[in-house]
Amino acid sequence: MSDPVVFPRRDFLKLVGLGVAATASGCGKPAQKLIPYLVAPLDVLPGVPQYFASTCRECPAGCGVIVKVREGRAIKLEGNPEHPVNRGGLCARGQASLQGLYDPDRLRTPMLKRNGLWTKIGWDEALQLAADKLAEAARTRHGVALVTDDATGSFQRLAAQWAAAMGGTHLAYEPFAHESLREANRRTFGVAAVPRLDFARPDVVVSFGADFLETWLSPVEHARQFAAQRARPHTRFIAVEPRLSLTGANADEWIAVRPGGEMALALGMAHVILTENLGPPIREGGALLDAVTAWTPEAVQQQTDVPADTVTRLAREFARRRPSLAVTGGVATRSEQSVALIAAVNLLNYAAGNVGETVRFDRTLNDQHVASFTDLQRLIASMNQGRVDVMVVSGANPSYAVPAWAGFNEAFDRVSFRISLGGVLDETAERCDLLLPAPHALESLGDAEPVRGVYGTIQPAMQPLPMFQTRPAGDTLIALAKRAGVGAVFPATWEAFMRAQWRPLQQRFGAGGDFESFWVGALQKGGVWEEVEATAVRWVSAPAFAAPELRGPGDAALVLFATPALYDGRGANKPWLQELPDPTTKAVWGSWVEIHPETAVRLGVKQGDAVRLESEAGSLELPAYLYAGVRKDTVAVPLGQGHTAYGRYAQGMGVNPLALLVPAQDAASGAVALFSVRVRLSKGQGKPMLALNQPDKRESFHEVGQVIPVAALLGAGAAEAAHGAAADSTGLESPMQSRPGRHTEPRQLAPGEKTPAHAVSAFVPEETVRSPRQIPATQGGYGAAQHRWAMAIDLNSCTGCSACVVACNAENNVPTVGPVMIQRGREMSWLRIERYEHAVGEGQSDVRFVPMLCQHCDNAPCETVCPVYATYHNPEGLNAQVYNRCVGTRYCSNNCPYKVRAFNWFDYAAPEKPTFAFPEPLNWQLNPDVTVRSKGVMEKCTMCIQRVLAVKGDARDAGRPVRDGDFQTACSQSCPTQAIVVGDLLDPDSKVTRLSNDSRHYWVLGELNTRPGVTYLKKIQRESA
Amino acid sequence: MKRALATAIVILSLATATVAFTQSVGTRLGDARGPQQPVLYSHKAHVGKLGMNCLYCHYGADKSPVANVPAVSLCMGCHKISRADKPEVMKLAGYYERGEPVPWVKVNWLPEHVKFNHKRHFAAGVQCTECHGPVQEMDVYYQYNSLKMGWCIECHRRKLDDPKFPASMDCLSCHH
Repeated sequence: MSDPVVFPRRDFLKLVGLGVAATASGCGKPAQKLIPYLVAPLDVLPGVPQYFASTCRECPAGCGVIVKVREGRAIKLEGNPEHPVNRGGLCARGQASLQGLYDPDRLRTPMLKRNGLWTKIGWDEALQLAADKLAEAARTRHGVALVTDDATGSFQRLAAQWAAAMGGTHLAYEPFAHESLREANRRTFGVAAVPRLDFARPDVVVSFGADFLETWLSPVEHARQFAAQRARPHTRFIAVEPRLSLTGANADEWIAVRPGGEMALALGMAHVILTENLGPPIREGGALLDAVTAWTPEAVQQQTDVPADTVTRLAREFARRRPSLAVTGGVATRSEQSVALIAAVNLLNYAAGNVGETVRFDRTLNDQHVASFTDLQRLIASMNQGRVDVMVVSGANPSYAVPAWAGFNEAFDRVSFRISLGGVLDETAERCDLLLPAPHALESLGDAEPVRGVYGTIQPAMQPLPMFQTRPAGDTLIALAKRAGVGAVFPATWEAFMRAQWRPLQQRFGAGGDFESFWVGALQKGGVWEEVEATAVRWVSAPAFAAPELRGPGDAALVLFATPALYDGRGANKPWLQELPDPTTKAVWGSWVEIHPETAVRLGVKQGDAVRLESEAGSLELPAYLYAGVRKDTVAVPLGQGHTAYGRYAQGMGVNPLALLVPAQDAASGAVALFSVRVRLSKGQGKPMLALNQPDKRESFHEVGQVIPVAALLGAGAAEAAHGAAADSTGLESPMQSRPGRHTEPRQLAPGEKTPAHAVSAFVPEETVRSPRQIPATQGGYGAAQHRWAMAIDLNSCTGCSACVVACNAENNVPTVGPVMIQRGREMSWLRIERYEHAVGEGQSDVRFVPMLCQHCDNAPCETVCPVYATYHNPEGLNAQVYNRCVGTRYCSNNCPYKVRAFNWFDYAAPEKPTFAFPEPLNWQLNPDVTVRSKGVMEKCTMCIQRVLAVKGDARDAGRPVRDGDFQTACSQSCPTQAIVVGDLLDPDSKVTRLSNDSRHYWVLGELNTRPGVTYLKKIQRESA
Repeated sequence: MKRALATAIVILSLATATVAFTQSVGTRLGDARGPQQPVLYSHKAHVGKLGMNCLYCHYGADKSPVANVPAVSLCMGCHKISRADKPEVMKLAGYYERGEPVPWVKVNWLPEHVKFNHKRHFAAGVQCTECHGPVQEMDVYYQYNSLKMGWCIECHRRKLDDPKFPASMDCLSCHH
């Protein structure tokens, strides 16, 4: 008998258990394929980004962009630092144009409407069908019309030539065309052009309703210049408008002028300047004085509600502190007397000697080809008379953007065959018969000449997406002309046409080289540009000055304004822009009506209640937003929402307030008047949705957004301000304040001991209290760290434009969550712009914008409460969040005094879930260097750690230290005013070190002794009068 | 009898467990650890016998975060002529002619939410075989190391104080 086998039971179970567990984990992996290239492209190295220069096509400003491409997909846009228009900044709409490229609702194939239903059709068949219709129409004169957007450069020339070849008309439609501005300048200066304005030089800027930091003309360029003006302590900016816009919120003084009273105020100021001889001697002085005699300050007070002495004060300030600048545009110049208003502002500028100084006709806007509204009306009349058989629409969306009274849609329905070359099924395309989709601008070749002297290139940064069978609009037009038998004048392709257009530029810029190298050089740089000789102008004559009469019996003037996110509505199909909190109201995903709190009381409505707006043309119901920044006799409604088509994100969101307009045009230029009606207000029935990202704009005693009066900055208060004491302290004792106690002595460093990088802060606490990290760690790489990454945010430069928010979303794969989740406070954005209204009322404007993101505290409250060490302090001073470790207790968010952490309540990254935030192909935009977070984990700003690592790696490869300026976060790169600066606090010469030690520095909630890595610089508060 | 049965069960279980264990962890027990690939490509033949440099095919390893799976055209650069009559090479050529990329099965599994950068490790002088094992001996390529965090950290800790290329122990270096 052999011995029994000794095999302890416990070991047996262990082994079997291990085997099973191992088997289970071994089989758990689904087979995944690694698909290589068939033939590798020579210039693509997987994992390494490529950058292509191009031009943004989201608005007529024509900013230069650099497209970051990974493995053939555009994943990020940044401003081109060398481009003369934007010099590196890029606005929210520019950032979001990626979502236009990857719009899941983009048209994938040509479509033909058969019996009211869209059916797919092949390209060849579609082109032949369209060409047959065009050939037939071309035989009868005036049979063809081509409507494009305001595209400049080669495409504009192709469109004009194409229409000529077809014997038809070409109309470049831009909803916010500057025809009144051109007309007014023609009458007053003899030059029908839109001048270039300089916001940097003038000491005093007065804006008569121009939203120049938001949508008007060239916002990124203006913002950059404006920040330079703001950096000088004694400069002034006065906003004259009935509704305090985002631009107005940046003003030192708000003159709440009576709606339509802007012109009278401008003339009143000119009157004072001319009668008191405050301006430079001008030859036309007599004629100017004659033109303004009626507008004495007292008369102006009657017409504008602005006290006579204010008019005089403004005029004296404006004329004595030259050069100054008066500007008008935007909402104010879309009335029935726009030309009169612009002429009045021109007169004011001329009287003060600003023309030729801050108003220059050198780099004028290239918009001479843009159609006027009367041109459009002529076309509508032709359509109604049956004289347009075939209409081709490319890029424009007149069905949405033309006010209903003009009857575009009815006339368009009478056209027998309508073709759309746009890439999306917008309202206009919906009414068409045939859709020939064009690729997105980021997939196309093209050019743009936004202003004189700037020739920007648009190059395909990537191959067109495989699911979209598109054809460039230029190629489609040429093919149609050739098939219709009238295309002999065109070369075979759009590219050939464009190259021919660039030949003359090669003669000028090519420096004698061959065309190919010039062309490639231009594409690499993003275009070519030159300084343009200014046209000297003299005063010609003043038009008849009259204030606009608002129509209708209502009790409130209706101000329709364009928002920085949606522009004329073209941004509405992009979830980033829909979820971008409006800088004024912080509302997302919808429309609202801004109404004065007293008016609201009169109507009996509270915030979010429905208000009914009634005009002679129709009525609308909107949620009320109570805003002291709008006059009691005025209500304001944003444009751009209320789409009936245009994809899943646009459709059904908000309302289109153009429906309230009655027929009204500018008396002199014929431009459509959006500011022309009064509305009757009443309490509405329903409960419309108003999702506010920041419901309360008041600030408690925490002084998150701080200011420093000019006197304190320059004079006696400077020393006090330098120590972080609130110069405008309310005197309230904060219950959050740490008091000295038993453990408040600062820790003394041992001889020879150096503070490790992660513990460095520019923050100097008033009282040193015991911190959780009294003894800085030096183990595990903590002693050897070479950098302390930090940020400085200058509130004096921040305009609240929110470009950084979208840039952050794009870089860091931040999902959008929709209005319902926003209402529950579950937004995911890592960066928000807080708006604090300290004083908003007639005569004053103290609105502070505070970009709020993770402060990367040295003594981070979040770190100490995490039970699993998912959030911790890294050796280079960053507060880190490790998604793998996070178990979702949310203790960190609870303990974060800045409330900058976002929790994934749902699976935004799982395609099979209804909460999926990136429907194909929107997910193609995701940054492969950043984890797409899943449900149940906390996330927050990483200070773009992926960029930190890339910069450090590049420096190491080059065998040099990281230089100041190498590292840019997405937000700092995008900021048009460079209000956000990042860098290394250990580098004594870095910009961030300099700013962090500036006399204006402070730390948000500094009394908590969190020792933040983000330093804020106080906004300079100027005298309000 | 009863004891014999018990012994049999124990031995059988042990055998099953051992096989499962070695298969999943992929230790150094043989070549049959890797997945079946669409083309029976042998690293042993290319690296071990022919002495080809890893970077010839995986040319991203020193320049990019990803090492790169070679394009089919790269294989065909040699195999248009070399051993064109062998069945596996003909399979490869078939893919090429059909314009179809070879659907290689992924072998190396890194845990989720980790970013690994080949270029940085290459620059620090880490040899390919330190992580990928004796590739020159593998007829069928398999994952040699666990590639799990403990395994990474083990090496990083050793090289923490490397004078030229100190390894990082910071979570953010890989988790972001």
